Amino acid sequence: MANMLLEVKNLVKYFPIKKGVFKRTVGWVKAVDDISFEVYEGETVGLVGESGCGKTTTALTILRLEEPTKGQVIFEGRDILKLKKGEMRKERKNMQIIFQDPYSSLNPRMKIKDIIAEGIITHKILTGREKYKRVGELLELVGILPEYMNRFPHEFSGGQRQRIGIARALALEPKIIMCDEAVSALDVSIRSQIINLLKDLQKQFNLTYLFVAHDLSVIKYISDRVVVMYLGKIVEIADKHELFNNTLHPYTQALISAVPVPSLDYKKDRIILKGDVPSPVDPPKGCRFHPRCSRAMKKCSEKEPGLIEVKKGHFVACHPA
Amino acid sequence: MNRILKKLFSNVTSLVGIILLAFFIVIAVFAPVITPPLSDDHYQIPRMSWDVNPQPPGSPMSDNMKQAYEFMEKEVKWKKAICGTAEGGYDIFYGLIWGTRTAFKIGIITVTISMLIGIILGSISAYFGGWIDEVLMRITDIFLSFPFLVAAMVLTTVLGRGLDKVMIALISFGWMGYARLIRGSILSTKEETYVMAAKALGVNDTKIIWKHLLPNTIFPVMVQGSMNIGSMVIMAAALSFLGVGAPVGYADWGQMVSFARNWIIGSPGNAGQYWYAVFYPGIFIVLFVLSWNLIGDTLRDILDPRLRGEL
Amino acid sequence: MKNNKKILLEIKDLKTYFFTEEGVVKAVDGVDFKVYEGETLGIVGESGCGKSVTAFSIMRLLDYPGKTIGGEIIFKEKDILKKSETEMRHIRGKEIAMIFQEPMTALNPVLTIGFQISESLRMHFNLNKEEASKKAIKLLTKVGIPVPEQRVNEYPHQLSGGMRQRAMIAMALSCDPNLLIADEPTTALDVTIQAQILELMKSLLRDFNGSLIMITHDLGVIAEIADRIAVMYAGKIVEYADKKTIFKNPSHPYTFGLLTSIPRLDMEMKRLNVIPGIVPNPLHFPEGCKFNTRCKFATEKCREKEPDLTALTEEHLVRCWHVDKVIQEAKKIF
Repeated sequence: MANMLLEVKNLVKYFPIKKGVFKRTVGWVKAVDDISFEVYEGETVGLVGESGCGKTTTALTILRLEEPTKGQVIFEGRDILKLKKGEMRKERKNMQIIFQDPYSSLNPRMKIKDIIAEGIITHKILTGREKYKRVGELLELVGILPEYMNRFPHEFSGGQRQRIGIARALALEPKIIMCDEAVSALDVSIRSQIINLLKDLQKQFNLTYLFVAHDLSVIKYISDRVVVMYLGKIVEIADKHELFNNTLHPYTQALISAVPVPSLDYKKDRIILKGDVPSPVDPPKGCRFHPRCSRAMKKCSEKEPGLIEVKKGHFVACHPA
Repeated sequence: MNRILKKLFSNVTSLVGIILLAFFIVIAVFAPVITPPLSDDHYQIPRMSWDVNPQPPGSPMSDNMKQAYEFMEKEVKWKKAICGTAEGGYDIFYGLIWGTRTAFKIGIITVTISMLIGIILGSISAYFGGWIDEVLMRITDIFLSFPFLVAAMVLTTVLGRGLDKVMIALISFGWMGYARLIRGSILSTKEETYVMAAKALGVNDTKIIWKHLLPNTIFPVMVQGSMNIGSMVIMAAALSFLGVGAPVGYADWGQMVSFARNWIIGSPGNAGQYWYAVFYPGIFIVLFVLSWNLIGDTLRDILDPRLRGEL
Repeated sequence: MKNNKKILLEIKDLKTYFFTEEGVVKAVDGVDFKVYEGETLGIVGESGCGKSVTAFSIMRLLDYPGKTIGGEIIFKEKDILKKSETEMRHIRGKEIAMIFQEPMTALNPVLTIGFQISESLRMHFNLNKEEASKKAIKLLTKVGIPVPEQRVNEYPHQLSGGMRQRAMIAMALSCDPNLLIADEPTTALDVTIQAQILELMKSLLRDFNGSLIMITHDLGVIAEIADRIAVMYAGKIVEYADKKTIFKNPSHPYTFGLLTSIPRLDMEMKRLNVIPGIVPNPLHFPEGCKFNTRCKFATEKCREKEPDLTALTEEHLVRCWHVDKVIQEAKKIF
C-alpha cells in the first residue's frame, strides 16, 4: 500500500474583485471552493475540468505560487501552508511544476544550461563544473543533445522547450510534479512524445504526478485516478476504469460524451448540456451544476451535495446519484 | 547583439548619429593634443587677450598676452584664435575642444546615476507592490510636480555654483522617468510564466529581480537614457546660461553661450558682429544632442520588432 | 461515389508562397481538392501545414508577403483567382463565408453584435437598419442564443466564448452563403461547448444544404462532421479520401501516425505511438518527400524524390512511395 504523499484538505482560494476609487472589494471569484483529495506516492492523479473550474488554480495554490485563502496542504505529513517564506523555499525542492506554455515559461535571455542549473544552484545540490555535467545528463534524459546547452530558448521548437521545462523540474529531484496542461499547447504529433517521456521518467524516478488537463483523452491515458472539478468544487473522484465505465456524476457523463473520438464506430449518446459554463463569481445556489443538469431535483437547488464515498475509492457529490 | 550593430550601421539616420558621435569622441580623447592646456586646471580656458569685446575668428594673440605668458613661462602652441575669442579674451576653440569632455562628463554621469536611482526605486516598487509601491510612487509624483528648470535652479542656488552642483541638481530631478518606465515594464514582466517558474524553483526575490526581471526590462530604459544624454547637456547649458552653472572661463559649452549673452545682439549698426561667440558653442551643443537622439531613435526602432518576439 | 452531386468548389494545383526577408516560404505548394454541394470537407493538419493559408487563399484575403502565384480556384464554375477585388467583395460574405478560431479577436470589440451581423446584410442586400436588425435577431435565434432581442445590442465582451462563436456563425450565415469555411472554430472552446457548437453546425448544414470546409487538427472533430478528408503536411495534401477510408484504411504514414499517436477514449492503449522529430520549419523543408525525416517507413527513394499524389482508388489519393507497408500496419490495428 503506497504512502500518502499529498493531502489537500478543505482548500479554498478566492480572488477579490476590486472596484471603485478606493479599491473596495465588491465580490469574490470563488476559484477553488473547499476541495479535498489525496495523492499517493508513485501515482498519477488526473485533475480534469473545463475553463473556470479551478484546476490550474488548485495546482498553483498547492505549490503556494498563489497563496490559498483557507485550508491545509499536507505534504509528507507537514502542512506546508504554515511554513515561513524561507522554509517554503527549501521545501520547493520536493514539489515542482511543468507549465502549459513552452514559449513563456523559459526566460528568453538565459541559456538553457542556466535555466536548468538555476534550481541546482539555488538549492546548492552541486557546484562548479559538476552542475553543468548534471545539466548535460538531464538534457540527455529528456531527449535533447547536451551539446545544445549553450543555446537560447528561441532556438528550440515548442516540444523541445517543453522537454527543457521538464529537465528543469527534474533537476531538483522532486517527489511530486504538477503538470499544468503540459501538452495542451503542443502540436498533436508532438504530444505523444512528451506524454511517453513523462511516463518513462515517472517509472525511472518513482515520480508522482498531479496532471491538470481539460482533454479527457489524455487524462484517460495517463492517469491512475481522476478528480473531476466543476466551478471550484470536486464533483467526482474515482480510479480510471471506474470513472469511465461506471460514471456517476451527470457532469462527468456529459463531459465524457462531449469528447469527439477519431473513430466511426464509436457510438455514444451525446449529452448536450444547456447553457454556458457559469462564472465562478456568482455560482448557483445548492449544487453548482443543477441549472444545466438533466437529473436535477428540487433538493439540488437548495442544498449543496457533499462528496460521498459511494464505493471504495469512488466519491461523488450528487443528490440523485 | 550582432543584429543590433548591423541594423545600427545600415540605417542612414543612425549612421549620421554614429559619425557625429565618433567625431566628438575623437575630439574628447585627443583634446590634450589638439589644444594643449596651459594651466593645471585643464578646463580653464586660456585667454588670448585682455579685451572685453569678443574678437573675431583668426585674431592673433595680443602682445600683452604674449608677454604675460612668457613671464609665466608657459608656451602657447597656437598663435591665433581660430574661432575667435569670447568676452574677456577666452579662446573659443579651446573651449569647444575641452568642452566636449565636459559634455560627455555631464551627460554620462548624470544619466548613469539617475538611471541607477530610477531603476532601483522603480523595480522595488513594481516587484513588491502594496504600500511600498504606493509610497515610492507618491514620492516620484512629488518630484515630478516640480518644474525641472526652476527646481534645478533653486537647488544650485542652495548648493552653490559649479558644474558638480549642476549635476546633483540634474540627477535629483531626473530619475523619475526611469523609475516609472521600469516600473511599468516590470509590472508586466513579473506576470510572465518564467518568473513564476523561478519562484517555483525556490529562487529568492533579489535574484528574481536581478536575473529574470531586469535583463528583460532594462533595454527600453537604456535607450531612453541614451536619448537623455543630449537633454542633460542642454539642461546644464541652460543652467550655465542662467548663471548658476560652471564658473567663468570654464570649458563648458553652456558657459560659453552664457558668456555671449551680452554680445548676441552685436553692436549698433552691425547686428551679427559677434556671431562666432554664440554660433560655435551653439552648433556644438546642437550636433552633440542630435547625435545621441539619432542613435537613440534607431535603437528604439530596433527594439520594437524585437519586442514582438524575435531575439 | 458522389457522381450525382455537383462540384461547388474545385482547387487545382494551388500555390501560395510567402516572400519573406529570410526566404520563400512555400506555404501551399500544389494543392488539389473538390468540395461537392451539401458536403463537408475536412482539412486536417498541424501548425505550419498550410491549412489556414489555403482558406485565406480561397477567400483571397492574403496579406503581404503572401501571394497566390499559381493554380485555379474554381467556384461555381468560375476561376475566382481571376476576379477583381470588387468582384471578390461581392462573393465574400455572400457566397463564401468564413469563421475563425478566436471569436474575441474576429469580432470588433467596439461594435454591437447586431451591428456586425447586419453589416453584411446591409452591404449585400441593401436592407435598411430596421430590416437588418430584425433579420439579425432571427439569425441569433437560429444559432441558439437565448434572449436574442437583448443580445443583439450587446458587445462581444459581454458574451461568453460559446456565445461569441455562435454569433460568428450567425454572421457567416446571414447571407445564406453556398460555402462556409471554418478555421479551427472550436479549438478555443471548452469541450462541452464544442459539442454544442458542433451539433449546431451539423443541424444548420442540414437545414441550408450548404457546403462546409472544416479546418482543424482534431481528428475527433473531423470524424464527427466531415464527409471527405484531406490530410495536409508541409504545404501539400498527403492523403485525400472519404471519412471511412481515412479512419479504417489510412494509407499514408502521417495519417497512420496521427491516428495511432493520439490518446483516444475508445481504445485502451498500452503505449502511444510516436511520430519522432518536429514539425519542419517551412523555410527548410527536407529534400524528397517532406515527411521522410519523421517516417518509419522511409527509404533512400523517399529522401531523393518526392512522390506525386497517386490514386489508390478513384476517390482515394495518397502521396507516398510505400503505401503497401502502411496498409499492412494499419490492418493490424484498425
